[in-house]
Amino acid sequence: MTVEAILFYVFGILAVVSALGMVLNIRNTVASAMSLVVTMVSLGAIYLLLEAYLVAVIQIMVYGGAIVVLFLFVVMLLNLSTDEFPPGKQRVAKLAVVIVGVAILAQVLVALGQAPLLVAQPEAVPEGFGGYRQLGLSLYTDYVLLVEMVSLLLLAAIVGALILAKRKID
Amino acid sequence: MIPVPDLNLLVLLPIALVAIGSMVILMGEILLSRADTVLGREVTESFIGTVLAATAIFFLALTLYTSVVSFAAGGVQVFNPDHPMYQLDPFSSLVTAVVALSALLSCALSIAYLSELRINHGEYYALIMLSASGMMLMVAAVDLIAVFLGLELMSIPIYVLAGFDRRKLRSNESALKYFLIGSFASAILLYGMALLYGVSGGTSFDAIRAGFEVENPIAVVGLGLVVVGFAFKISMVPFHQWTPDVYEGAPSAVTAFMSVTVKVAAFAALIRLLAMAFGPLDESLENIFWVLSVLTIVVGNVMAIIQENVKRMLAYSSIAHSGYLMIGLVTGTIQGYSAMLFYLIAYTFMNLGAFGVVVALANRGNDCERIASFAGLARTRPGLSALMVLFMLSLAGIPGTAGFMGKFQIFMAAVNSGEIWLLIIGVLMSVVSVYYYLRIPVLMYMKEPGDESHRMEISSGEGAVLVFCALAVIALGLFPNSVPTLLFGDLDVLNWTRRSVEMFFGG
Repeated sequence: MTVEAILFYVFGILAVVSALGMVLNIRNTVASAMSLVVTMVSLGAIYLLLEAYLVAVIQIMVYGGAIVVLFLFVVMLLNLSTDEFPPGKQRVAKLAVVIVGVAILAQVLVALGQAPLLVAQPEAVPEGFGGYRQLGLSLYTDYVLLVEMVSLLLLAAIVGALILAKRKID
Repeated sequence: MIPVPDLNLLVLLPIALVAIGSMVILMGEILLSRADTVLGREVTESFIGTVLAATAIFFLALTLYTSVVSFAAGGVQVFNPDHPMYQLDPFSSLVTAVVALSALLSCALSIAYLSELRINHGEYYALIMLSASGMMLMVAAVDLIAVFLGLELMSIPIYVLAGFDRRKLRSNESALKYFLIGSFASAILLYGMALLYGVSGGTSFDAIRAGFEVENPIAVVGLGLVVVGFAFKISMVPFHQWTPDVYEGAPSAVTAFMSVTVKVAAFAALIRLLAMAFGPLDESLENIFWVLSVLTIVVGNVMAIIQENVKRMLAYSSIAHSGYLMIGLVTGTIQGYSAMLFYLIAYTFMNLGAFGVVVALANRGNDCERIASFAGLARTRPGLSALMVLFMLSLAGIPGTAGFMGKFQIFMAAVNSGEIWLLIIGVLMSVVSVYYYLRIPVLMYMKEPGDESHRMEISSGEGAVLVFCALAVIALGLFPNSVPTLLFGDLDVLNWTRRSVEMFFGG
């Protein structure tokens, strides 16, 4: 086993375990959010192993940083206490979630076992693929329309948030 | 050296006009609210709202015009030929025109209603236009990323619009419920798209078509998840539970907008995706659509019978109409898709009209939602009652109306592809639907008025929208093919919706 393979398994197991930790930690929402950070950072490490440096950095900055901070803000603002989750109902819900989750996992694993993920053979990656230059070029040439549409989406989100939170209504 | 792509900017005209319009409204609101008088008129909140609504209607009318011109011209135009994302063709320009028209009618319908509630803000119209631009991207997309972005841009403004009347608990509940369900639907859709990308190595419809194999279980799971994601938006049973709550809680004018445009855009995008990336559909997939279609028709119609609230009744009726529309997906033929497109256009006018009457009756924000409150309405509001009768007859599918023509074409498509059982179930459930649709006319004309306080005057905007919808329902019902011929002069449009979907079959 090469060093890369060992590292892959270490980070892969870490990602799965902390993802489980996030889901199972219903009572302590902050611990749940912190487990999510571990998952995101492990995924970032796996991207590094694949030599996708830019994706790894974005993964850690956006998911590990911005999004989890947002989650923590929401957790703090809502200030949920454990009393607000009545234990009786939770057990049934947990059971249902576990059954559905395991069923979907089994289905995906069976499907993966039966079929190779990529039918078409991938072409060799050109020099500088996945770097800042390549990404910038393709964003502003091939995907220029979608970049503009994302800016409209952000505009809609900002206007929406302002209306729901700040607009004076008499 | 950076390669400059050869962009065809004019293709973007419809979508750009809507986007620019929304920004003009947002800027206009700020400028107007700082002025004391404009052209000698005192600036009040409702004056600002009306001016901005007129701006929205102006830009939407321009969009409507450009997309109709593009439909009449025919042909396929791509924004970026090297990397197609947005493609204006007969199908997408027709659907773009329908979206622009229904957004325009919704704006005109909203002015008086919002003024009564004292929430006639410019942001309302800006959000409607942003949502419309998302729909236009979604229905003209030839790439999964563009489809997803369009869907999000369509949905996010509508989540906000559903909660636009912030003082009402119901409106807040509606927005939150729609947002949560919609986010899950987006996540499911995105998961499906990721799997499709995994099996085909590309996100464009062409790449997926090349890489998709029915034998590959991952590909089938991906397609299934994508269909489920859309199923939430078109309220297909069993993904429909949010519909009645959201339709009931949202302000009636918003419900009118979202009940028609979201359905038109999501169904059109689904047709386009299935036909361009997967068509002709495998028989096993058609069987799944068969089951879902029957479930949707039966659940929608049966649940509509027991409703006591007119908005909930119309919500279940819209679920039932989704079921009829899905018959077209089961057939997967040129006739089926053409019938779906016609049905969607007919549905736009009749449903907008029905919700328009509810909007026009709302008194100071007290929506006359109980079906019982329609009792004796023909005495006090004869004009509105007559229009409501027409829309109910059309929704029920009585001959002479657009609703009948739509159902007739859908059922003909089912017969021609040998789906006799779908025809039988569809016709039987249409008979059931007559019961709950005709309850309102019966109450209006044959019962004594109760002590409900309806609004007694109708604004010119509401009146114009209702009369337009009524004329469209009658025109499409009596002369389904000559309406576009009249519009486009001597253009050879014998069957205009058929002309739009021919491109999916190499036409």
